[in-house]
Amino acid sequence: MRRLLLGTAVAAAATAALAFLVLPVAAIFLRVPPGKLIHQLSSPLVTDALIVSIKTSAIAQALILLFGTPLAYVLATRRFRGHSLLVTLVELPLVLPPAVAGLGLLALFGRSGLLGTSIPFTQTAVVLAVAFVASPLYIRQAIAAFEAVDPNLVAASRTLGAGPVRTFFRVVLPLSRGGLAAGEALAFARGLGEFGATIMFAGSLQGVTQTLPLAVYQAFAINLDTALAIGALLVVVSAVLLVVLKLVLSWQPSRRTSSFLFARST
Amino acid sequence: MATLSADFELPLRSFDLRLALDVERTVALVGPSGAGKSSVLRAIAGLVRPSGRIALDGEVWLDESTFRLPEDRRVGLVFQEYALFPHLTVERNVAFGGKARVGELLERFRISHLAHARPGELSGGERQRVALARALARDPGVLLLDEPLSALDAHTKDTVRLELQELLQSFDLPTLIVTHDYEDAAALAGTVGVLVEGELRQLGSPADLVSQPSDPFVASFTGANLLRGHVTSVEDGLTGVRLDTGEIVYSTDPALGEVGVVVYPWDVSIGRVHADDSALNLIHGEIGSLSRVGNRVRVRVGPVTAEVTTASAERLELAQGGVAVASFKATGTRLVPLAG
Amino acid sequence: MRVALAALLAFVVVGAAAAQSHTTRATVYAAASLTDAFPAIAPQAHFSFAGSNALAAQIRQGAPADVFASANMKIPLGLYGDGFCSKPAVFTRNALVLIVPRKNRKHIDSVGDLKRKGIKLVIAAKGVPVGDYTLQVLEKLKLTSVLKNVVSRETDVREVLAKVALDEADAGFVYATDAKTVPKKVRVISIPPRGRANVEYGICVVLASHDKPAGQAFVRRILGPAGQRILRSYGFLPRKP
Repeated sequence: MRRLLLGTAVAAAATAALAFLVLPVAAIFLRVPPGKLIHQLSSPLVTDALIVSIKTSAIAQALILLFGTPLAYVLATRRFRGHSLLVTLVELPLVLPPAVAGLGLLALFGRSGLLGTSIPFTQTAVVLAVAFVASPLYIRQAIAAFEAVDPNLVAASRTLGAGPVRTFFRVVLPLSRGGLAAGEALAFARGLGEFGATIMFAGSLQGVTQTLPLAVYQAFAINLDTALAIGALLVVVSAVLLVVLKLVLSWQPSRRTSSFLFARST
Repeated sequence: MATLSADFELPLRSFDLRLALDVERTVALVGPSGAGKSSVLRAIAGLVRPSGRIALDGEVWLDESTFRLPEDRRVGLVFQEYALFPHLTVERNVAFGGKARVGELLERFRISHLAHARPGELSGGERQRVALARALARDPGVLLLDEPLSALDAHTKDTVRLELQELLQSFDLPTLIVTHDYEDAAALAGTVGVLVEGELRQLGSPADLVSQPSDPFVASFTGANLLRGHVTSVEDGLTGVRLDTGEIVYSTDPALGEVGVVVYPWDVSIGRVHADDSALNLIHGEIGSLSRVGNRVRVRVGPVTAEVTTASAERLELAQGGVAVASFKATGTRLVPLAG
Repeated sequence: MRVALAALLAFVVVGAAAAQSHTTRATVYAAASLTDAFPAIAPQAHFSFAGSNALAAQIRQGAPADVFASANMKIPLGLYGDGFCSKPAVFTRNALVLIVPRKNRKHIDSVGDLKRKGIKLVIAAKGVPVGDYTLQVLEKLKLTSVLKNVVSRETDVREVLAKVALDEADAGFVYATDAKTVPKKVRVISIPPRGRANVEYGICVVLASHDKPAGQAFVRRILGPAGQRILRSYGFLPRKP
């Protein structure tokens, strides 16, 4: 009798959790009829925001990969004084409230800031805001992925005649591909949904700096249907991302070198 | 025949590794774990930077003003667990160091049929062959093997050891092997060095090491018996030693004080009753253990281990728990000084 | 006679006390420009300050507000027409001003100067009352070309204020009352009379409220002499011009 009760309790809890995660997303699609949804998607507010989001996301992620990968590799493979401090600093944007991140960017790049640039209110500002908040997600995963590569494989590659760069591309990268992809997916998702730092550092101007999340916020105050449409769009993009990530991960080769100490005989 | 000469010093965690060694044919370094053996190979390969000099004939890889990177040294390093690239096929693994001889090497190591397999699908022995083929595809000037037989189970070991012996003989490359197993070393190399805590205690042929160990540790490590005792008499060229276990044995070596009595197993005969040749040392005892080593048997009688042929062991009907007499000549007994 | 007077006094006192305790419970959604004045009038009420249009949208979705105070009449009239709140009343007025950072690097002295190339102008988004007023003013002054210099449309007036106060934007349009909150950081440029907009703030009781007496008490307090006095002290203009 007790076991039946326990089983029922577990099933109920699981169902509740699942519903909690799935229903809000489903509700977006259920609130507005699909025809209306698609009609909203063709409004300039939405298309402008989509273009801004895609453009700034693409550039920001490219920057993250370009600069974040070498940084992650150094942090994963070398130990030096101040190493843990550096890692903590890299992870800092993760725990910062986005608005604070925006303030920080303003304090550095603002006209009255440390560097005195004219970057605020430009699309560059959006790229920087997205890159700033999203990069720790990628770098953390990348560090873990690089650390998981057997150092003997790297050493073997060197003794076989491949220098550090060739070793990185022929051995390290293929073996850490899965972790890097997972990190990049997280960073991309975070960047796509970025709001607080963007609005503070880049402002919001349709067609220039107004990304999809900023457009949702504005649309909500004007036309709920438009807001729902943008929300639905963001859901679809995120879902596609998740699927692509799963596909990339399922290709990943085994990373163990010699899994068996005592294998079957010759 | 090329020669690799290495003379360097490398600080390790608990001691400094100091080595001066010339490798012309096959040399094996034995020692307990932690003695610095793997570090020797890493230093020669260029994966760590010691101070000193390492050169292969005319090519200087390391000296005060030079440090050649690993990728520029013609070394073939086979790692303890082989370090095969799991994301590449056997063929691609072997081709990593050089594409020219891949087909030939696959043939030679009898792994052509595995060309498209992945390392994860292979047995231990197969992986070792791939690792060797890969190292050789680079056309190295020196071959470095790190514990080549350790990752194999006992059953595979014997076969592979034999194969490896034949291969090394056919290669004609200076080869340095490190291992914790003296028998592997003795089987594979013409010269064996004993490395303890970063220091080379002795370097010589396997036979020399067993017949003339320079100190007790070398003696015990190279498989000779080491019995502890105290010198009680010296007369007529014979030194009498009372063993800690009580027996008296004699040796033709002069010595005083605390000594280790070294006698190699194959100089010890076993009988059920008193033997009637002129052996002077007799030890009565219970047969403590019997273990096969190849086609011979090591028999422990009391404190001493004898090595006899399997045939003899069967003929004498030796069995654990039985009693026997171990006998060995005084001239076949060495004495080494021991700390007090 | 004396008993009647005493009873009346008691009634007033109790009524006032009751009114006071009622206002402590009200949940008030109010325009961002009221951030400082409203809590001064009713310290214990619960407030949510944002752009009036965003707040109205939340109320339409069933947000638990008892009172809605907007920086225009248009939005509360919309809610009233759709049955979400009572008929709105004007409770105060304000003036739109142009502000520039104290440093004023671009040497802006008038609305007309905003036409110059390279000026970074920040205004509120369309639908946010102060944003609508800004457009009205620019149309009246026939200076809508100035809009080409807009670099950002914020979601409420305090964000516009912040960007100018931080000297990240060269100019912005806010209410006179907002400029007063950061006197050392911004300089105020008044709008010429012919361009001025009529800024009327509307207040109403949310019909779905669970505590209408509290909401009504709060509205009464705002409209009463004490509330009006406090609003004036913050720079708001009298209800009736």
